[in-house]
Amino acid sequence: MKGSLNAGKPRDPSGGEGLLARSVTRRDFVKKGGLLAFSAGALPTILLACGNGTSGGHKTLKILQWSHFVPAYDKWFDPWAKAWGDKNNTTVTVDHINYADIPTRTAAEINAGSGHDLILWIVPPSQYEPSVADMSDVVKAVEAKYGPQLDFARLTNFNPHTNHYFGFTYSFAPDPGDYRKSLFEKAGLPNGPTSWDDMLRATTAIKSTTKGAVRGGIGFSPEPDSNMAARALIWSFGGSEQDKDQNVTINSDQVVAAVDYMARLFKQAETSEVFSWNAASNNQGLVAGSLSYILNSISAYRTAQKTKPEVANDIFFSKPLQGAAGVKALASEHVIQTYIIPKFSKSQDTAKQFLLYLADHATDYVQNSELYELPVNPNTNAAAQLPGWLDNDPFKSNPTNKLQILKDATTWSVNVGYPGPASPAIGEIFDTNVLPTMMAAAAKGDKTPKQAVADAETQIKAIFTKWRQKGLVGGTT
Amino acid sequence: MSAPPATRGTVIVEESVRVHHLLDRDSVLGPVLLAPLMIYLAALVGVPLVTVFVYAFSDATTGSESFSFVGLETFQRTLADPVFQGAIRNTIVFTVLSQIIVIVLATILGFVMSADFKGKWIVRFLILLPWTTPVALSALAWLWMLDSLFSPFNWILGQLHAVPIGTPVAWLGENNLAVGSVVALQAWRTMPLAAVILMAGLTSIPPELNEQAEVDGAGFWRRLFDITFPLLAPIMMVAILFGIVATFTDMAAVYILTHGGPGNATQVLASWSFYTGIQGGSLAQGAAIGVFMFPVLVGVCILMLRRASGVEVT
Repeated sequence: MKGSLNAGKPRDPSGGEGLLARSVTRRDFVKKGGLLAFSAGALPTILLACGNGTSGGHKTLKILQWSHFVPAYDKWFDPWAKAWGDKNNTTVTVDHINYADIPTRTAAEINAGSGHDLILWIVPPSQYEPSVADMSDVVKAVEAKYGPQLDFARLTNFNPHTNHYFGFTYSFAPDPGDYRKSLFEKAGLPNGPTSWDDMLRATTAIKSTTKGAVRGGIGFSPEPDSNMAARALIWSFGGSEQDKDQNVTINSDQVVAAVDYMARLFKQAETSEVFSWNAASNNQGLVAGSLSYILNSISAYRTAQKTKPEVANDIFFSKPLQGAAGVKALASEHVIQTYIIPKFSKSQDTAKQFLLYLADHATDYVQNSELYELPVNPNTNAAAQLPGWLDNDPFKSNPTNKLQILKDATTWSVNVGYPGPASPAIGEIFDTNVLPTMMAAAAKGDKTPKQAVADAETQIKAIFTKWRQKGLVGGTT
Repeated sequence: MSAPPATRGTVIVEESVRVHHLLDRDSVLGPVLLAPLMIYLAALVGVPLVTVFVYAFSDATTGSESFSFVGLETFQRTLADPVFQGAIRNTIVFTVLSQIIVIVLATILGFVMSADFKGKWIVRFLILLPWTTPVALSALAWLWMLDSLFSPFNWILGQLHAVPIGTPVAWLGENNLAVGSVVALQAWRTMPLAAVILMAGLTSIPPELNEQAEVDGAGFWRRLFDITFPLLAPIMMVAILFGIVATFTDMAAVYILTHGGPGNATQVLASWSFYTGIQGGSLAQGAAIGVFMFPVLVGVCILMLRRASGVEVT
């Protein structure tokens, strides 16, 4: 059937001043619709073409990073980065998203071949090695000024198998134990636990005396903090996922002992809530007064200082807990800040200049993260002030020396994948939560510790095999 | 010297007439009108679907633009993965359980919504509300309601002394409770659509049938099972099929509520595909996991299309 949408009405002889003022024929609809659709489709391309790289000598730099756990950091960083841009004839854009969305967004941008020039990851971004710019020039330049990167930072942004720097790691957040001093005092440990056995005894006693109202806070969930905790425990018992040459070593007596410990910890000191946590849950539990001990950065404490000062005054920190005799107690870095530059970026040189500028301002990022972030090069301009700040917290800790234990955090912090590098295989094991799931299976009694470890080994070996075939991971077994 | 403007004007008019003439032909106009939809479907459904299949037979990763074809290797690795096996089981269990709940409750709601009573518009609005809420938003609301620390359910249970105050029920931490929570969320969000479909079905049943049966002495249950349900069955099938598609392919509920935990007790195909393919970087394996949803969805689509053609008005 032919006709117009307003069939029967006279057409506007003037041609009409607006769409609403005249009748619309099917023909007009198709023509205008087609034009509109074309315009809508072409607009982003035109804008993108206008916005890339340099235009008339003016440069652009688009940065994607997480919404920092310490909000003051973002408040400082965004104008600071833009001010650098103003001085360097560069328009700087900083986009913040939830840390959990960084992998998805990076994957989308890499596959689309378009997006941000700098992307900040807080876990090792090893799987993106084939699609990101080589960063050896930035790392070497910063090392020449501020000393060699700490081992765990180098193993985070460098792939020894391909001899390639795929990222630039500039800071990390330590992952100490956070405990409620008043509760641990009553459990006979006024200075907090020093070993995993101490912690188990104290949290069990606290749970018992509070009739379950205050519990232990080590998670067994598919989330980052539980992943960190599982690794810290395994290392402190002398085990690891891989050796330094990237051979899988998960199935060992040491790892079985660590899993057995976690099963006991759950049964004696925790409840099933630990299987359902997200990354914020242990922070919230500590601040709410429901948890006596967690493994976390100081961000939970900083939150408590602002929202519940009386709880903050009762939160103290402990170094990594001793596991097996004769084994050095270790903790995973809590977050490790690593920038990557996608190969598609047309502003790679500008991005690298910005990173060098960032490295020159360690004092600023340490201070504005409220001592959450610490540099990974030993001689930055923050080196002189940092010990004093940790002895006497400028952010009003009570007592002021509460953060003193972080002074040697670089000696007990290691990377995910220690003693080997943080490879794509290690990244997939982390992101698919193999280790917390292994711990949970034993804790819930679904599997014996030995069986849980054997099953995890099957998964881990399959992941390693896959990435070895891509040439990104070394080792043979 | 004045010829060029006149020539340009003539050409424009002639072209305009030609375009008008072309668009007046239904054989041209029909495809032109359908073209945007076809382009949309091809770009946003067709291309991703083909890409998933291509990736599933490759070694593609999120970190690299290049990949090689590896035949069935990715599928073999996927089938050997114990988490994948659990995810298949969970996907089916969650879909079946939630749709059983949906069909029972949606039928009741269908009766309620088609009944005539004061304030029925408010009731209809409240019933439809979950359907209008984006799944991510509703899952977040459920997450807080089931949170181990802040759950209002736990507070109520504490106030009623059903559980000791301060010792929360771990709604998302116990296997059975977590499974129940995911099923409840899926049922809650798909129920309104089913209720509306069933309401439409109920109102389309000629009232004379029930009136006649009532005159003949048939009671409520007899009329329900011998008249209403048989006539409602075809439309009920449509509601079930829509529910199956919505539940079988959804990852938001699991991703937001449980992240697949405790352990992997609530991991489903869609969430495991995401964790492996996007978060873990193994794009090929994520695609292979997604491909396993395809046969079920094709089967459901065929059933839906058959059902649709069966009720086509001719």
